[in-house]
This record gives sequence, C-alpha cells and structure tokens, in this order.
Amino acid sequence: MSSIGNPAPDGGASWLSRRRLLALAATGAGVSVVSVTGLSLASESSGDDDGAPLVISLRDVRNGTIDVFSGESVRTITDKKLVDSLLRAAGR
Amino acid sequence: MSSHREAPEISKDPVADSSDLYAFISHDEPDSVTIIANYVPLQIPASGPNFFEFGDDVLYEIHIDTNGDARPDITYQFRFRTELRNNRTFLYNTGQIESLDSENWNRRQFYSVTRLDSRGKRTELAGRLQCPPCNVGTISIPDYAGLAEDAVHKLKSGEKVFAGQRADAFFVDLGSIFDLGTLRPFQNKHLVGQKLFNFAGKAVNATDRTNVHSIALQIPLHMVRRGGRNRVGVKDAGAVIGVWTSASRRQVEVRGKKGDGDVVVGPQVQVSRLGNPLFNEVIVPMAEKDKWNSLPPSEDKRFAEFVANPELAALLPVLYPGLFDNLAALNKTRQPRADLLAILLTGIPDGVIDGFQNSAGRVQADMLRLNTAVPPAAHENAFGVVGGDIAGFPNGRRIADDVVSISLRAIAGATVPLVDPRFKPDAAATAVEQGLSIKNVSAKLLGKFPFLPTPFDGLNNPS
Repeated sequence: MSSIGNPAPDGGASWLSRRRLLALAATGAGVSVVSVTGLSLASESSGDDDGAPLVISLRDVRNGTIDVFSGESVRTITDKKLVDSLLRAAGR
Repeated sequence: MSSHREAPEISKDPVADSSDLYAFISHDEPDSVTIIANYVPLQIPASGPNFFEFGDDVLYEIHIDTNGDARPDITYQFRFRTELRNNRTFLYNTGQIESLDSENWNRRQFYSVTRLDSRGKRTELAGRLQCPPCNVGTISIPDYAGLAEDAVHKLKSGEKVFAGQRADAFFVDLGSIFDLGTLRPFQNKHLVGQKLFNFAGKAVNATDRTNVHSIALQIPLHMVRRGGRNRVGVKDAGAVIGVWTSASRRQVEVRGKKGDGDVVVGPQVQVSRLGNPLFNEVIVPMAEKDKWNSLPPSEDKRFAEFVANPELAALLPVLYPGLFDNLAALNKTRQPRADLLAILLTGIPDGVIDGFQNSAGRVQADMLRLNTAVPPAAHENAFGVVGGDIAGFPNGRRIADDVVSISLRAIAGATVPLVDPRFKPDAAATAVEQGLSIKNVSAKLLGKFPFLPTPFDGLNNPS
C-alpha cells in the first residue's frame, strides 16, 4: 500500500484491519453504502481506539484513491488491491 | 436578516445556523468583553413537545484574533450533550421545573467548554455545564429568569459563560426589505411603492416574539489582548480584537438501521460563519454564500470585489428615483468603495475618525473588530460610529445597535467622506433608516450578563 495523504501509523493494511470497517464505495460522484456494521458514534478524539467505527470512501476507482475517515481525521491512501475488493463486495 | 437563514444550505440546517454575533464592553464589567453568538434562529416559543436545543453533533466556536492576521489566536469550543431522565414519557417536563436539577425536567442539555490557543493547544475549561430549559410556559416554569440566572457559570479560568435559550433582540423589517428593497417609512418614494402608497408606512419587526439559542462569554480583557495587557490606549494596535463565530459538522454521517445509532466521523467541516452582521446576507452573491460559510476569514479577499462595488449600492438609485443621485454618480465611476472595504474587511485606520481606530492589520477579513480601549458610551446611540458613538457598531456590536440602518446608510454613501472629503452624500443617505429600534423588541434587555432578554414563553407566544 502506498500513501498519498497522511501515512498510516504502522504501515497500512494492518492499521486498516484493526478497526471495524464501514465501507462506502463510490465510482464517480455517486456514493453508495455497501456494508454497515457496528454502528455507533465515533470518538471525538482521533486516538487509537480499536473499537471506534471507521468509514472508507472510494473517491477515485481508476487511481485507487481512498479516503479513510476515523475519529476526527481523514487520511487519503492509494490501494488498488483494496479498491478491487471493495468493488467485488459491492457487486461491481 | 442579520444572518438568519442567510445562505441556501445553512437555511436548511437551523441548529448550526449562526444568526447574530455581538461583541461589546458593558457598563457593569468594563474590564471584560462580552461576546454573544446566537444560533437556532426564528424559534416559535410554543414548540412542544420537542423544544429547541443546540445540536449534539455540531461544534460551536467563538474565535478571537488578537494580532490582525485574521487567524484565531484564541478559540472557545462548545460541545453539547443531551440527556433524558425518563425514557417512558413523551413530555419535555412531567411537572413544574423550579430548579436546574428538577426531577420533572426530562430532556436536559449539558456542554463542555474548551479553549484553544494559536498553536491549537487545548485546555478544557469545563466538562459538564448545564443549559437552562426552554421557556415552556409560565405554568411549567414559574420563575424562568431565576432559573436562567442559575445557568450562568463562572469558570475557574476567569470567564463567565451561559448557553441556552434567549429572546431574539435583533430587529428588522424583513417583509418589506426583501419585497423589492422597500423601507416602509419611505414606501411612497419607492419605484413601485409610489404607485401603491401616498403615505409613509410603519415598520414591522419580523423577528419579534421569536427566540434563539445563545452562547455568551464574558472574558477579562487582559485574556484577549495581545501580550495580556490590562491597560492599552485607543491608538494601540493591541487594543483591537477581531471576533467571529463558526459552526462545524463532522464530514461523514452514516444513518443507522433498525434503531442502531448513526456513525458520525471524520474532520469537522465548517458550515456556518458570522462576523459582521449582514455580510453574507447582502454583500455576498447567492451563488457564493455557501462557499463563504465554509471558509475562514483569512480567505475573504476573494469576496472583496463585492464589498468594493456592492450590489445594493447600485440598486438604491433605481429603487428610489431621485433620492440617491450622488450615489449613482459615484457608482458610475466604478471606484472601489474604500470606506466599505475598511469598515468591513480591514477596520477603520487611525486618523480617519478623531480618537478612534479599529484596524489591526491589512489582511482583508470579515471579523467584528472591537477596540477594547474604547469605554462604554454614557448615552448609547443606536447608529453607532455613524451616529458619533464610537462604542457602537462597527466598533464591535452592541445588542441595541441598529445595524440594518447603519449598513444602509454606509452603503448609500454616508461613510464615503471618511475616505473622500470631496464627496457629498445624498440627503437620503444620512436619513435613511428601517424605522425600528430595540423598543420594537417585546422583551427587555437584561442589565447584566448574558444581557439578551428572557425568552418568550410558550404559553403566551404566539397569542
């Protein structure tokens, strides 16, 4: 995984997998929810709360650009492999 | 209005909609500045069972620039949390509310106050302060004023704070102004009105008998002045502070299903902003208003063109034929309105008005600028600086200042001589007014913090 925004604190995929994942997959301007689990209010702080929900917005399919919203922060990453997985999950 | 529903998007989000901002030195606490930011405008007092409240999902902020760079040196953040006592009733209160800890008061709101310095360092000043209830009615709350007084909190750090419902003390004849720029006292001179009326009309206060939710702060002056100084001179740049308020929401919200909670996550995104009254309302074009609300004051140079040649200045000579000929001639020159650029975007520099300045820098930014060395006026003039009272708007803003009329006069050309002594304002420019005053607000201002009147109660309003 390469990062184009703020780097993941400990190297990308493991950082993502530690959190429950809410995935928003998008192509172009439209955004659709593909899976929602464990809904709850996210923590005000952007600390390392493993239980806090996390939202992914697939901003640019072609370039594999993903916005990862966690706590009060957003990080932008590029991960074409993850993009492919999300698109499959969305039935696309 | 001042900033009530002033932009397309925020008009659909009243909980985050800032409607008025005041900053002034009061007689009772001349060594402190009082700042009041109003939100949730146009509340009908009779609004049960779900009475108005702050948004638990909104970050409310009051920002203070102490060095003229249009960036916050001090920010106060307010976060609210609503709690239910009884989840088996539909009622806001199940009996009389006679104290803030009344068992009969079902839906209460608490808030935290956090102060940020210019480097973003956070200090939580209070974690769980209580708001007063809404003014349900005199049967539910027999002594509302006393109850609200108990909700004024003195912080250990020195500030006084209040957050809760108040009567809206802003006065404006909204119905006429947005009916093709009519001012009822001059309706018989209006382009269309002169065909309909042969008499001057009486203005109507459209916001009377409505409530708002206010966040009020009273801060010792040394805490907001550059260098922490207790005493400064009027000409000292360190005497001037710039104030604005903003409301923000988290960037992402995912609605829960089957009773699950929503997910609210991501950075705060600003959705509302307010410095000078009427700036976004009548200066910024509709197509740019939502963008303006999302930006900080340090970006306001991109809106300077609308201040330099305001649309309203071009409309006045058309709407009131023959009354604004000098203004029309000035408009034709297309010269940027240096008077308005100073008043709204940089502050009035030293040397323009005897014994006064409220400029702290050259950065063009819409902030409410207050020279904190100017003492409260012995006799307030509702026309503020335009009326010879330098303790009033646009030197900060007091609650009773007639900001609508002041802004009308300024845009009509009354303040051009400050920068061009050769210009002779039209007689109408120095006489035009909306025809209202604080006396047209059916509730009395308090003589002490938080100054805004007791909210109108639901039993008797509307009546």
